Amino acid sequence: MEHKYDIVIVGAGGGGLFAALEAVRTNPRVSVAVISKVYPTRSHTSAAQGGVNAALGNKDRDDTVELHVFDTVKGSDYLADQDAVDYLCSQAPSVVRELENLGAPFSRFPDGTIAQRPFGGTVKDRCCYCADKTGHTLLHTLFEQCLRRGVTFFNEYFLLSLEHADGDCQGVITLNMATSAIETFVASVVILATGGHAKMYWNRSSNAAGNTGDGQAAALRAGIPLKDMEFIQFHPTGLRKSGLLVTEGARGEGGYLLNRHGERFMARYAPQKMELGPRDLVARSMETEIIEGNGFESDAGSYLELDLRHLGAGAIKKKLPQIRELSMHFEGVDPIEEPIPVRPTAHYSMGGIDAAMARTAIRGVYAIGECACISVHGANRLGGNSLLDILVFGKRAGQEAALEAPERKVHGITPAAVRMVAHEIRSYAGHERYERYGIIREEMGKTMGDNVGIYRIEGRLRKGVDEIQSLRERFRRIRLFDTGTVFNTNLIQILELKNMLDLALCVAVTALERLESRGSHYREDFPRRDDEAWHRHSLCTMGGDGEMSLNHKAVTMGKYSLETRSY
Amino acid sequence: MERREVSFRIYRYNPQVDRTPFYDNFRIAVEKGITILRALNHIKEHLEPRLTFRAFCQAGICGSCAVRINGVSRLACTTQVWDLLTGSGDETILIEPLDNLEVIRDLVVDINPIMEKLKRNYSWIRPAIPEEEMGRKEHIVSDEEFETINASSDCILCGSCYSECSMMAVNRDYISPPVLLKTFRMNNDTRDTFACERLREVTTDDGLWDCTHCYKCTEHCTKKIPIMDGIHRLREEAFERGMTQTKGARHAQAFFDDIRDIGRLREVTLPLRTKGVLGSIGMVPLAVRMGLKGRKPPLLVKRIPDIERVRDIYSRLEANRGES
Repeated sequence: MEHKYDIVIVGAGGGGLFAALEAVRTNPRVSVAVISKVYPTRSHTSAAQGGVNAALGNKDRDDTVELHVFDTVKGSDYLADQDAVDYLCSQAPSVVRELENLGAPFSRFPDGTIAQRPFGGTVKDRCCYCADKTGHTLLHTLFEQCLRRGVTFFNEYFLLSLEHADGDCQGVITLNMATSAIETFVASVVILATGGHAKMYWNRSSNAAGNTGDGQAAALRAGIPLKDMEFIQFHPTGLRKSGLLVTEGARGEGGYLLNRHGERFMARYAPQKMELGPRDLVARSMETEIIEGNGFESDAGSYLELDLRHLGAGAIKKKLPQIRELSMHFEGVDPIEEPIPVRPTAHYSMGGIDAAMARTAIRGVYAIGECACISVHGANRLGGNSLLDILVFGKRAGQEAALEAPERKVHGITPAAVRMVAHEIRSYAGHERYERYGIIREEMGKTMGDNVGIYRIEGRLRKGVDEIQSLRERFRRIRLFDTGTVFNTNLIQILELKNMLDLALCVAVTALERLESRGSHYREDFPRRDDEAWHRHSLCTMGGDGEMSLNHKAVTMGKYSLETRSY
Repeated sequence: MERREVSFRIYRYNPQVDRTPFYDNFRIAVEKGITILRALNHIKEHLEPRLTFRAFCQAGICGSCAVRINGVSRLACTTQVWDLLTGSGDETILIEPLDNLEVIRDLVVDINPIMEKLKRNYSWIRPAIPEEEMGRKEHIVSDEEFETINASSDCILCGSCYSECSMMAVNRDYISPPVLLKTFRMNNDTRDTFACERLREVTTDDGLWDCTHCYKCTEHCTKKIPIMDGIHRLREEAFERGMTQTKGARHAQAFFDDIRDIGRLREVTLPLRTKGVLGSIGMVPLAVRMGLKGRKPPLLVKRIPDIERVRDIYSRLEANRGES
């Protein structure tokens, strides 16, 4: 089946939905379709708990856009592109107000303005929130407004391939999950908004099962470079057993991190900001504590404690209700009574599809949100800046797409391209195949956690690269056991695993190549930041043979020049 | 780590190959601390790759994995296997798809009807601020106003209440609890300008007044939202806005009047007062069938002896209006 739209948006998280909404508002005559492998409200935006940064000045009257830019650039370890950061922070107050205007139920200060709380790595309290369900409420608000505007959704469609002709966008090929039919969407503009890829760390990841980087992998295969892939953020406070997330808001509200001696050990690593240091620093400090034997021991591995008890039952119930629920469900711990067992968990991918202000190397293809690397987060993202990123660049991409789409011409998607994709899917069911999905995925998660984790060193990174390479080799013999066509989740698992393996290789090879420590990327053998040699973005492209080749790109500087980063 | 053998009895149906649904049994060793979702994943990865279910966030916030577990709708990802064990020798946990929705395959149901109903019932804010002024300034909203809608904005559209609703079980066209909850959430948002039209839409047939107050939606809400309170509030709002001429509103008013006047219901004239003369004609065959089965409401209903005490309750409720 062939569909035809002016604009096709892949992904229905906050970024994709805002892009859709903005496109129909900007130009009601363009036709817009949103394709998503899950129903929109299932998207991972819903899991963002803490909040969204904007220099509204409701709390700290003297907060400014410039300070927000500075915090973000410093937090990025100076790898962010400052033109993009300027845009991000300058648009922040208006997009947050706009979401408020559209019905997002923000928590309030006594004077009725949007409440703001402190967050990691910032000099002012500028994180706007709705209890600890901020992402959930923003996602639902955007979905509601898309329903209001009659946006067309194709739910449970899986992205198979991004199509272009000599660098001009032609559309996407998808799999209708309900029927397993291959359906093409011819479009003059495609906006990729497929979310992150940190699920490649599997059990040591806070991410949803579907954060498998489908858009990134499709872009990579279409020839768009992936940028800064070595930068994976480990969130300090994942639950011990599941890796599920305890929001930074818990520390923002005053929670303590304790080792088994009952010590607030962050005093030794970030004496000023303590628990509210930036995420890379806090995660690394926790890992060091665990390595040095200061952690608690359990069957589920070593851990530290997040203590909220001193905040009192009232504050916990009102401001962190979901955290309390999660702790009780998944650890059997009520934070009013006991500290929560935590350890760092892979959480966010700073790297992604190389995009300049959301535009990629293929004309008519945009990338936004976590799947993209517009380079606002650099080597380390600040808490509260990811919801902001999807709102600001979702809106911008939607606006630009609505103006650009009518100007562009498309030829369509060739039958040969469709045949190639169909052939690949059929081949998975081959009887000579024997490798199992679960085993390859388990080994991928383990090797990424063990060898490409928080602390990195050449020997282990080489091992990681080799192991991912051999898993990719084994993937060629993976067996699809479910040969039915109705809602075949076994097939989706295999397609997602293929995407994760390609991206895992990008992460491992770029991590091996970068001979310095910057932000979330910490090399034990190169513990210092080396601006001379490495103050540049890494680019990763994939050849037809599946081999990765690496390249570099200069960082766009601005007002703030390189400085030592301390908290 | 404690481990136990547990049987999972799982509903299976693939319309492509199965003429009728059936149940499959999988016996696995389960550790303490494992959720139903982890068990389902284990079965899919090690025993039956064809087993089909939805799951995404694994943290109780996306709403994908709602299924019926031992007959009760809940999220697979937040339900601990251990909590369901009885301690008897043979531990079996029954897993079935949500009720009141069409099964696509195994545990996957078609949730489009929920989306369609949200769309039909204006489940969004229509803000007062004109398009061109969006983003310039924020509304001032008091903490109390925020708290009024706070719990209702927790809804993750998992479909558990939809599955448990006793009205849905007899009428698939019924508006459904999550849509009524959204209506409550929007109508009590001080920033919205569409409350009246929205309420008019939800008070049409198969709407607000069809709820039977069974409270199953509230009882089984995976986010512990007091959905029924929202439904009651919407009914009050309908009266406050003078939307008293729908069948449902007249029905409620008739109950209210009868109990106040005589302390019991005048059943015989109830259809007349609810549906009017023409509407009641259609009820005649039902009345005849009821009569034949011996179900004959008394023609003359006497006032109960202690009617003053009933009226006292009315006046006290009247005095406390608005408090709950």
